Amino acid sequence: MVHKENREDSLQPKDTPSTGIRAKQEIEELPAPGPEEASPSVPIAIGNEKPEVVEAIRQQDVDGPPSSSVAHEPRTDEAASSGAAKQEVAELPEAAPEHASPSVAITVAPKENEKPEAVEAAKQQLEADGSPSLPEDHEPRTEEVASSVAAKSVSVSVKKPQSFFAEGPLPAIEMAPRVLRHQSRRDFLVFGAGALAALAGGAFLLPQDTLSRIGIHENINSSGKEWLLNRALRIDDDVAEALYSANRSVPTYSRSQITPLKNNYNGSTPDPGYISGWKLTLDGLASGLSISLDIRNLLSRLSLHEQITRLVCVEGWSAIAWWAGLRFDDLLRAYPPMSQAKWARVESSVNLDASGNPDPYFMSLDLATARHPQTLLATHFNGQPLTVDHGAPLRLLVPMKLGLKNVKAITRITYVAEEPRDYWAERGYSHYDEI
Amino acid sequence: MSHSTLPDCELNSTSTLPEQPGVLVIRKHHFLVRCSHWLNVPILLGLILSGISIYWASPIYQHKPDPNTGNTDVAADIGIWICAHVPGPHRYSSPPDWLYNHISLGPGMLGLALRLHWLCAYLFMLNGMVYVAGLITGGDWRSLLPRPTDPLDALRMFRYYVGFPFAKLTRRPWPHPLFNTKYNALQRAAYFSVPVAGFLSVATGWAIHKPMQLHWLAALFGGYNAARVWHFWLMWIYIQFVVPHVILVFADGWDTLRSMIVGWSARVERSEVVANGS
Repeated sequence: MVHKENREDSLQPKDTPSTGIRAKQEIEELPAPGPEEASPSVPIAIGNEKPEVVEAIRQQDVDGPPSSSVAHEPRTDEAASSGAAKQEVAELPEAAPEHASPSVAITVAPKENEKPEAVEAAKQQLEADGSPSLPEDHEPRTEEVASSVAAKSVSVSVKKPQSFFAEGPLPAIEMAPRVLRHQSRRDFLVFGAGALAALAGGAFLLPQDTLSRIGIHENINSSGKEWLLNRALRIDDDVAEALYSANRSVPTYSRSQITPLKNNYNGSTPDPGYISGWKLTLDGLASGLSISLDIRNLLSRLSLHEQITRLVCVEGWSAIAWWAGLRFDDLLRAYPPMSQAKWARVESSVNLDASGNPDPYFMSLDLATARHPQTLLATHFNGQPLTVDHGAPLRLLVPMKLGLKNVKAITRITYVAEEPRDYWAERGYSHYDEI
Repeated sequence: MSHSTLPDCELNSTSTLPEQPGVLVIRKHHFLVRCSHWLNVPILLGLILSGISIYWASPIYQHKPDPNTGNTDVAADIGIWICAHVPGPHRYSSPPDWLYNHISLGPGMLGLALRLHWLCAYLFMLNGMVYVAGLITGGDWRSLLPRPTDPLDALRMFRYYVGFPFAKLTRRPWPHPLFNTKYNALQRAAYFSVPVAGFLSVATGWAIHKPMQLHWLAALFGGYNAARVWHFWLMWIYIQFVVPHVILVFADGWDTLRSMIVGWSARVERSEVVANGS
């Protein structure tokens, strides 16, 4: 079917034995350069007589052992003595119609640059795919594939130029069965091993709960699993740190875009009794002192800033809210931390767990983020002083971090040189949480 | 495998080696493409299972609290409905969790699911690069590009698939439409859109993951919340792709499945391929 079409493509008069023989002779008379030059030279020699060549070679197909064609082939092939080279020769008659066209391809000037490209592509493919066991007849083969690619494009280019994006024919190649078997066996083994590895990896990585649900009750929890998952988390934190820019502001919104923000205390909401005696304690200061400030001290010393920003929770929900508060940066200037400090440990001692028992909340914040102008120690929410639900009287608002870093009812800030502990990082979440 | 039917060249005087008949094959999939294809199976499975566990923490589709249960999650409703109407899970202990227990890692494990999701997401991006590298090296990317004739050809293929069962039942001939390209128009549409979906999944994933540092990316998808919706529905593209993909590969036969393992296909006659030989 394919070949019939091809024959029609070549538009040609039907045979006369004599022209066939003539073409054959021409082929025989070809010089025998290396494989690189083989196919350009063929077309040049054949020139306009393409149709006859086609027929001539067809003729051989019918007539029996194509001796002349065979004789010519090894000459164009440096690897003539290899078995593979011979196979290609065997292939010749069937392929002939296709290969008649390259002759045109190469003699037509504008198409010339198309061929090297095709050669390149074909070569790359073979190289990339090649196994050491492949016979060394790559060269001639690429050449052949390439010239057929060129042939294809030319036959189309009569109508319109072939674009870079056009799909070429799939390169069909002839393989020694032994080589093919060997490669296929190798690939089956490689991918089979991969499938087993994926199964094992999946069982290794899945949470114990999930495994028990599908009937695997052995405990496959291991330190390796934690290590790998934490490694991925660390890489992600490093990416987040690289993405962070002190000069980049988070988007701000208009009042009309404000959305509701519910009470998101992780445990029970503390009793508001703590507010009257509330103080913020600063530790790790350059002065070496421990300083306690009440809300009036803070509000009188530092100026208030407003912003409408989005608070994004690790769970996925988010809320746009209108905040006002003191800049963390202003606090850092007013009460400078010790010089080697790189982190702040932000803590709330009033937090409770779900059953109402004290559950102090502590969280690490890098000072680079603390110094960002949009990092606030918020005192107001939607134009009103903070309520208990939202962490009265002072909460952290760091919109470039996940909501869980936005500690409510801060009671202590400690500046430290090493990354401090973090409540949620200890529970399998990120340390850095930069969004 | 189609052994060459051509006469061996016994008169080759320059060689003394015995003849060995060659096998004509098509190089179909580059090694890197095959690797990334199979790696996608566990990676996408991990992404989807952990992704739905993450979804559980804050479902996109919620309604006003149910007066009886207080439930707001549509996925929990589906679980409850299944437990109420499907005989099997009738006595399921926690109907709202039924769906999460069956199509995700499970409810209530956000931290673990996130870590697994990041791990798989980075692997997915690396794997995507391997795939693109394979497409470029092998030149197969051209076979995936849509072309102007595709809508009509896709209709022909669609007609073929729709009529196929009926033709089989009535034992009428139902020839496969002929194409001289590597893929037919429907395949091309699928194999082109899945990498695009992969790219969009990664982009929306980053938009959700870094909505402040990459707020322009989130804005591109209509904001943070819209990006979450995109990310959720892009997942369904893989699911609705995989089902017919697997069915059709098996229907098409061993050669097609094998070609994704070994890279070559013996179906030389089916594509308009230029044979080698010179």
